[in-house]
Amino acid sequence: MTRWGMVADLERCVGCQTCTASCKHTNATPPSVQWRKVLDLEVGAYPDVKRVFVPVGCMHCEDPPCMHVCPSTATRQRADGIVTIDYDLCIGCAYCAVACPYQARYKVNGPTFAYGGRAGMKNEARREDPARLGVAQKCTFCSDRVDYGLANGLTPGIDHEASPACVNSCIAGALHFGDLKDPDSNVSRLLDTHQTFRMHAELGTEPGFHYIWKRKNNAGIDDEVEAPSLFSTGIGNVGGAAPWLQQHWDWRAAGNFIGGGTGSGLLAAIAVASFYAPLSFLYVLLALAFVGAGLFLVWLETGRPWRAPLNVFFNPQTSWMSRESMVAGLLFPLAFVAGWFGTGPLLSVAALVAMGFLYCQARLLKASKGIPAWRTPAIVRLIMTSGLCEGTGLLVAVGFLAPPVYAGLTTVLAVLLVLRLRSWRTYRKSLNGTAPDEALRVIKTMSLPFGLFGHLLPIILIASGYLFVGAAPVVGALAGICALAAGWWMKYMLVTKASYNQGYAINHTPERGAGGGGAGGKPGWGMAS
Amino acid sequence: MSKKDPQARRDVPTYCYQCVSGPDLLTVGVEDGVATEVQPNFDSAAVHPAAGKVCVKAYGLVQKTYNPHRIKTPMKRTNPKKGPNEDPGFVPVSWDEALDLVADNLNECRAKGLKDESGYPRVAASFGGGGTPTSYMGTFPAFLGAWGPIDAGFGSGQGVKCYHSEHLYGEFWHRAFTVAPDTPLCEYVLSFGSNVEASGGVCGVSRHADARARGMKRVQLEPHLSITGACSAEWVPIRPKSDPAFLMAMIHVLLHERKWEELDLDFIKHRTSSPYLLGKFGYYMRDPETRKPLIWDANTDKPVPFDTPGAEPVLEAPFLVEHGIEEGADGKEWEHVNERCQTAWEKLVEHTKPYSPLWASQICDVPVKTIRRIALEYLEHARVGETIEIEGRILPLRPVAITLGKTVNNGWGGFDCCWARTLLACLIGGLEVPGGTLGTTVRLNRPATSRQASVKPSRDGFMDYPMNPTDKENWVSRPDVRNANRTLIPLVANSPWSQALGPTHIAWMLQNDTPENWPEPTLPDVWFVYRTNPVISFWDTDSIADTVSRFPFTVCFAYTADETNHMADILLPECTDLESLQLIRIGGTKYFEQYWDHQGFALRQPIVETQGEARDFTWIATELAKRTGLLEAYNNAINRGAAGVRLTSDVVDCSLDEGTEHSVEEIWDAVCRAASVEMSDGKNQDGLDYYREHGLKTIPYERLNWYLYPELEDQGLRFEMPYQEGLYRIGKQLANRLHESGISWWDAQLDEYEPLPVWQDLAALWERALEENFDIDINDFPFWLVTSRSMQYAWGGNADIQMIREVASNIAGHGGVIMNTGRAAELGIGQGDLVEIASPLNTTRGRAILRQGVRPDTLVMIGQFDHWATPLAKTFDVPSMNKLTPMLLDLTDSTGSGADLVRATIRVVEKAP
Repeated sequence: MTRWGMVADLERCVGCQTCTASCKHTNATPPSVQWRKVLDLEVGAYPDVKRVFVPVGCMHCEDPPCMHVCPSTATRQRADGIVTIDYDLCIGCAYCAVACPYQARYKVNGPTFAYGGRAGMKNEARREDPARLGVAQKCTFCSDRVDYGLANGLTPGIDHEASPACVNSCIAGALHFGDLKDPDSNVSRLLDTHQTFRMHAELGTEPGFHYIWKRKNNAGIDDEVEAPSLFSTGIGNVGGAAPWLQQHWDWRAAGNFIGGGTGSGLLAAIAVASFYAPLSFLYVLLALAFVGAGLFLVWLETGRPWRAPLNVFFNPQTSWMSRESMVAGLLFPLAFVAGWFGTGPLLSVAALVAMGFLYCQARLLKASKGIPAWRTPAIVRLIMTSGLCEGTGLLVAVGFLAPPVYAGLTTVLAVLLVLRLRSWRTYRKSLNGTAPDEALRVIKTMSLPFGLFGHLLPIILIASGYLFVGAAPVVGALAGICALAAGWWMKYMLVTKASYNQGYAINHTPERGAGGGGAGGKPGWGMAS
Repeated sequence: MSKKDPQARRDVPTYCYQCVSGPDLLTVGVEDGVATEVQPNFDSAAVHPAAGKVCVKAYGLVQKTYNPHRIKTPMKRTNPKKGPNEDPGFVPVSWDEALDLVADNLNECRAKGLKDESGYPRVAASFGGGGTPTSYMGTFPAFLGAWGPIDAGFGSGQGVKCYHSEHLYGEFWHRAFTVAPDTPLCEYVLSFGSNVEASGGVCGVSRHADARARGMKRVQLEPHLSITGACSAEWVPIRPKSDPAFLMAMIHVLLHERKWEELDLDFIKHRTSSPYLLGKFGYYMRDPETRKPLIWDANTDKPVPFDTPGAEPVLEAPFLVEHGIEEGADGKEWEHVNERCQTAWEKLVEHTKPYSPLWASQICDVPVKTIRRIALEYLEHARVGETIEIEGRILPLRPVAITLGKTVNNGWGGFDCCWARTLLACLIGGLEVPGGTLGTTVRLNRPATSRQASVKPSRDGFMDYPMNPTDKENWVSRPDVRNANRTLIPLVANSPWSQALGPTHIAWMLQNDTPENWPEPTLPDVWFVYRTNPVISFWDTDSIADTVSRFPFTVCFAYTADETNHMADILLPECTDLESLQLIRIGGTKYFEQYWDHQGFALRQPIVETQGEARDFTWIATELAKRTGLLEAYNNAINRGAAGVRLTSDVVDCSLDEGTEHSVEEIWDAVCRAASVEMSDGKNQDGLDYYREHGLKTIPYERLNWYLYPELEDQGLRFEMPYQEGLYRIGKQLANRLHESGISWWDAQLDEYEPLPVWQDLAALWERALEENFDIDINDFPFWLVTSRSMQYAWGGNADIQMIREVASNIAGHGGVIMNTGRAAELGIGQGDLVEIASPLNTTRGRAILRQGVRPDTLVMIGQFDHWATPLAKTFDVPSMNKLTPMLLDLTDSTGSGADLVRATIRVVEKAP
């Protein structure tokens, strides 16, 4: 068995970006797309500060979250460990991009050229590849060179014709490529003779990219080293190492979670309400309209919308996006029939499917390993309870329901609000130490208005409806609107404002010749309190 | 996955010499006639010190070729008014018309006389990038050679942005136009602001990476944590421009805190002037008969001429010289009888006594124990007494070196640093020996191709140096070029490089302000500009722009619009890097870490079709020669070697017929054949076709040639260290000459001609100069503003390449002004805030980049981006310190150099969004 991997020697790297440039040439990537790049990190504080250059890119993980989430099976893993993208399958949903904790994936929707304009320079025109537009792209470990080399009896990592361009170009001898499974390979020997780490190893993706930070001593034994202080030394965002706000999923993606949550919550509320009195078919249509609108919005965000409706179903084995789509496919006819015939039991089944849809959405976020504010398990309950609050709130607000139905639903809403608030608190707590400073800052600023206007106020309104029965419909509607709006706002904020990515970190600063080498740093993490 | 050959295309070998640390050998992939990809030239791995790897700048060449902003036809100015705010109104013209216009102006100059009424050449030329344009200008040097006197003294950064003190004093003391550690053997490097990981090229980077992996320790002393600081074992955030104090304190530790036996006393006694006896007037005590400096011989216990066979020099004792002579300035002599003398060594010991680590600590803002520790580490790593065999010869092994960076190495204090660095090498016997501090090329001494061959004995037992004369008969009293290099700077010699190494800012300064008793400034009638952009790359750029706009006829070889050619009369688009033909020398020893085990030649060749109407530089040169009636002289210059190789040879004659016009290919085929002949003693005559296919041809180069020590040992010579008797005398003579001419405005510079450097408070010097010239309170400018090189841009002239901009953006600092995070917080400045940086001269704006790795009293602006005409670059909105740095005589040292720093203040204009 072969496992291709890369080793970056941080002691040698000087941050010259020759690998970055060389990768851009070999792979003809457009402006601002850098499958390989080198970060410029600082760790520590003046005057005890270290500056470190860290090559990053796709880590070709053994357990790649990008592949698991991919709904189209465009992202795959070869037997030799290289993670690939089939541009002809990819729908450009960018789910892989938010699932990657190494920010390795890019998506470019239209042709872009170095000097702008509608046509590129000759070299750009010569290398233009329309297949790459609207789909995910990333480092391939120059697999075409590797394959060419193997087919011609060459050794990747040793023979330049068979090696990745970045490795070939490295002027400091910092980048190495080879078979990690072969104990005699160049990279295995380096790993044997040096102390190394892998970035974000705690996330369990088993990256195939190792960083050398120190030579082992003569006996081949690791020296005592200072424990990495991963959460205490990050500084600033210069050098592009600190987490930044992901740009792959915007308000349209948020719209899917809003529409999906509200629609499926509404279906559940309808099912509950229909135990008391039959509701108009229009309510079911409204619920489906919300779900449909959400899906429509997120479809607008796909880079390849015409292949998306089919290819999105290709990976139900592991992708929550495929599953969400499949459940949606079941939900629409089922709910329609249930609503049309007004059958309570069928409606309950539809509501259960809607809950399944809502659960898929929640898990969809949780599987986004690249976004700390999403990947926490606590997000599942938050998304679920919020969907129910939104749906119930909407029904209360627009339902004009008979008093017993109304009273029952407002009570349910009050209970759901309490549950959502508790979910929020659990969610917030879960982020301590697991999300970057900027995400925490956003979440922190959300807490008070979310609690106050999204929970306390509607609960007070509901309570006042009990006391002042005459005003109940009005205050109830207001409470419903509050519950609904708060849910929408919360999701909008989580998807578009709190969605800072993982950023980059090093477990150790490297030694530099006869000195240095110590605790690492994680820029953008651990400074907020 | 496809199994197709990813390299199914033509890979054409060529070179990149965009920066002084080149050339890099590369191949360019061509698909369907289009250049698409740069790769290392793997075939050169065996001969290239960095295995044929290529610097990031070379990857910009593909975009450079197809850049839509290129000027692709000759252009003529239609707006007679010139200035930054004037639209030049360039209109396309034919090559015939453009060349005729240039030739008409040149012919007019020739008709009026090659020199003007002030005695200055009517034709001037400015080239940038530390001489690298020569590798791109084909046979243009032959045209200039055929023309006659040229003023190459209008600098575009030379003297203030180079390693100026090192260039001059380095050549003087050890034939070291540039200095590098013997990195493959070195184990300990003290780097004072030297930024080898940014500016040392692929050889520097790869060698230092190998050295680190070997366990070499490098300590970086610099106000900010540069790329090189990042790659060093230790960073010492020293106060700007205080480096001489640190170095002096190191000398103090070695001389006053350690036993001298720990030093290399053998080297000190036999390879330096330490044992030379001094008279009371500060000159060597000389033997009355031979006029040779005296040493005290332990064997005979009496003074003997320094080169007496078998003499054992004594460094310290009471010396009573019965009869001796001191030779002062201008032939003045003193005869001494029974004179008590000191040796130069004793003088040195006495001189350095006050310069203790405690003293330096205050100046440098570095703890005493750090200074002392570093001095001792330096001594410990020197391995005094050890030897190594290099190609059969036993040589001292001293694996320690000191390197000096820009700003440390120019302007006031540069002399002190170079002297101290060279002396520290001498004290442990580490100058020009394996592992130690090496010079790597000569530019002022001759021949340029061999440091060893340039070593000729002086009468005092040192290497003779081609000083510009200061004696009454021979002093160049009337400057022959506008920067007066030969008049004011004896050390700058008189090689083809000397003008560019003179006080190049004086050529600009004196255009506006003529000092007393100095020829009236004149503008050159014709100014050629190539690969340089002084309007943004020198200091006080507003003033430079003003001067340039007054030049009557400027011819710019133009790739895109830029700030200097905005004021041009004619733009000539030459074929760029991947479009034109030229053969250059590679290998041997060149700048910095470019010392090879091979030497030979590499070809740059047209790889793709020329874009637009651009023309090969050689074609342009030939046309100009033809149109100015200089074809024969031009061909003659080529035959004599102006294209890099002498075509006439005793072995095989490759020379061109001087009466005929030759095509570009004919010329370079002859040069290629001559190169092959030179390398093979005539056995091989491979011409252009061979080089087109293979890209290069080399022969072995002896590693012994990396070291100058063997040559000195063979000739029995000494390094002129520590005592500067010669410079002292020259300074006195120069003072006499200038004063005789009524010139007193160079007096401060004359004070620098000291036998041993006396500490001067450099910070105070800067503060005083700024206060006096600008009527400001220096406390209003609390920061030192410095600059730093970046590998992506250094020397590249590539600010308009999008990909370079993109990848450079990954490195902090390219987008604004770097300042200390804590200090910024005190001032209410946040990351990315728009700030205004003001010096006493001017203001500029940019984004604040907050970093921990910079002193709280220092601001850093990387590179020099202040473009307003260059496409793409003018959109960067990045501050440049060039606009803020004044050109002041007060801040010009005796070599005519200034240091790239100024005092500044900073304030927020607009908070970051």
